[in-house]
Amino acid sequence: MNDKESFAEKYRIEKSSELVSQEKAVQEVKDFLKNFPKKKALVLYGPAGTGKTSLALAVARENNLEILELNSSDLRNRMKLEQILKPASEQMSLFKKSKIILMDEVDGVTGSDIGGIPELVRVITVSRYPIIMTCNDAWQSKLSPVRAKSKMVEMKALDRTAIARILQNVAEKEDIKKDPTFFSQIATKAQGDVRAALNDLQSYFSGENVLVDITEKRDVEDTIFNILRRIFKERGNFLDLFDTTTMSLDEILLWIEENIPREYKNEALAKAYYALGNADVFRGRIYRNQSWRFLIYQNIFQSAGISYSKNMALPGFTKYERPKRVLKIWLHNQKTEKKKTIARKYASLVHCSFKRALRDFDLLRPILKQDAVQKQLKLSDEEIDFLQK
Amino acid sequence: MSQTEIWTERYRPSKFEEVVGQQEIIKRVKSLVQSMNIPHLLFAGPAGTGKSTLALITVKELFGERWRENYLELNASDERGIDVVRQKVKDFARTKAIENVPFKVIFLDEADALTREAQQALRRTMENYTNTCRFIMSCNYSSKIIDPIQSRCVVFRFKLLEKKDISAVIKRIAEQEKLKLTDDVFQTIYEASEGDCRRVINLLQATASISPDVTSEMVKMISSEAKPKEIRVVLDYALAGDFVNARDKLLDVMLKESVSGTDIIKSIQKEVWNLQIEPEIKVRLTEKTGEAEFRMIEGSDEFVQLQALLASFVLAGQGKATA
Repeated sequence: MNDKESFAEKYRIEKSSELVSQEKAVQEVKDFLKNFPKKKALVLYGPAGTGKTSLALAVARENNLEILELNSSDLRNRMKLEQILKPASEQMSLFKKSKIILMDEVDGVTGSDIGGIPELVRVITVSRYPIIMTCNDAWQSKLSPVRAKSKMVEMKALDRTAIARILQNVAEKEDIKKDPTFFSQIATKAQGDVRAALNDLQSYFSGENVLVDITEKRDVEDTIFNILRRIFKERGNFLDLFDTTTMSLDEILLWIEENIPREYKNEALAKAYYALGNADVFRGRIYRNQSWRFLIYQNIFQSAGISYSKNMALPGFTKYERPKRVLKIWLHNQKTEKKKTIARKYASLVHCSFKRALRDFDLLRPILKQDAVQKQLKLSDEEIDFLQK
Repeated sequence: MSQTEIWTERYRPSKFEEVVGQQEIIKRVKSLVQSMNIPHLLFAGPAGTGKSTLALITVKELFGERWRENYLELNASDERGIDVVRQKVKDFARTKAIENVPFKVIFLDEADALTREAQQALRRTMENYTNTCRFIMSCNYSSKIIDPIQSRCVVFRFKLLEKKDISAVIKRIAEQEKLKLTDDVFQTIYEASEGDCRRVINLLQATASISPDVTSEMVKMISSEAKPKEIRVVLDYALAGDFVNARDKLLDVMLKESVSGTDIIKSIQKEVWNLQIEPEIKVRLTEKTGEAEFRMIEGSDEFVQLQALLASFVLAGQGKATA
């Protein structure tokens, strides 16, 4: 059966240095292990087929770490968890390898169920081993407690030429002879997904000499980009537009919110945000009263409502961006974490509330910058760095 | 205790005689302390008028060197929930006081941050430990403290510090720290501090950290840096038709100052009347603003509603009423 092994498995990288186009991510993962347990967990996030799992496996191998795989159902199994998390002192002997915990696709872990995200957070807190998680979309709100405890490392989709090069290498080893455009076509179709490209290569090679049809899309769900394009560029009712995606209405709302000003100006802009505001009002009512019937109103306002806000669409191609707000808030919270710890130390010393210290922080900043004060407050290096910024 | 580097602590009075202002209160508290038995006390008054200081002096006078062992300070606005407060009080009150005073002292700062329910629970706690503990509570407004607690306490009302008191504080610190001040500094600091002594000293130290020659301009610079007014910038971007920048700036302000959407909308509502647009449009914008505020309170997403409002400002900038 060995020759039936998929190319994606067969040619999985051995060493992290072989990973194409992800130098920054590779370095960050190495740093993470070196600095462990400064941060105990790391999240590798990015589109499918960019090498997240491969990177985790390769790095573990290079550091001579035994890999413990964890999946979402394990989180519901306390017994097994306790075994995995058993303190290092009990298990580690000179001859045994140390371990790394790998949790693939944390997207699949539920937000609040028993054994869901809270359990995962607990695992991160108690674990004596480094934990690497992978996921596609790290910015969902349910993952925010995990983000707070983890180093975040992005893996980007590979560009066409990088994928074509990988395909060519594999083809050489497999003794497949094809001209460069063939590889380039498969690479284009893969849209950044190396695994998909390798699968395609394998399927074309194993069958007869089928021509690659680049107009044939891989069977994926309708992307948010297509949905946005239709709403913004066309005028239509779109009553079942959102049926083709698994993305939630609320998430789509964020995408629309982010991209309205890229498509609409002036009156259209005002009308579109008015419609979005209405969609949001119904969203609020749905949550407050659990009246799911209102979904239809949210749906219509954020599809037809946005679509009919304009008389004419902006011509040409618009590059849509992913919602920045969630990311910004998260980054900001990361940054102000230090502000909070400093304010707390300060407040405990001067008989005032932590809240007051936070409120006065800008005034206190010049005082907190003084060496002697920093020494007295026993500020950490990171906190001192924060004040210098 | 080693010398502290933070001036609000370095110059915190440690004897009754050193306190500026509040002379009437000082006299009464002092005589209570001399009898070596104090009732529960409630200090009401604005921030930075000496409530914590007086609580500290009280325990130092009562317990002398070993005051720390007999004193617990809790800040009601930081301690999450009454249960935490009660547990800490319980743990602290379990053992008897050291020294020859038969009770310990618990200072509950910003007690008006507690909900009415929490205060009811606190009242029970006060009764349970009345043999071993005295409470000193501080609050900004005594009206926010429930009657049963007020009636168990002797209430003292602190007044805002006057200019002469604040000048005395500044003068004393300037001498000790060898600062040179221009004459107008006293007035500037007084105005910027709004009678809050903690703010006076912080302003002085922040300014002095730049140079020991303190001028009125420097004080103004430091105090205005600490108090930015950026909502106008957001609106100006929107009126100029630059929605994207207006939106980015808005998010920045909300995050940096950690103000809520409803706070933002209040300042927008005020700022509308300072804008250079037709009065009729101002009325329409106010209507939009009110609607947005209502929606937020009702549970809508603050940022979505604020963006919708900003989009109306873009139109207003072109002399058009809202769509």
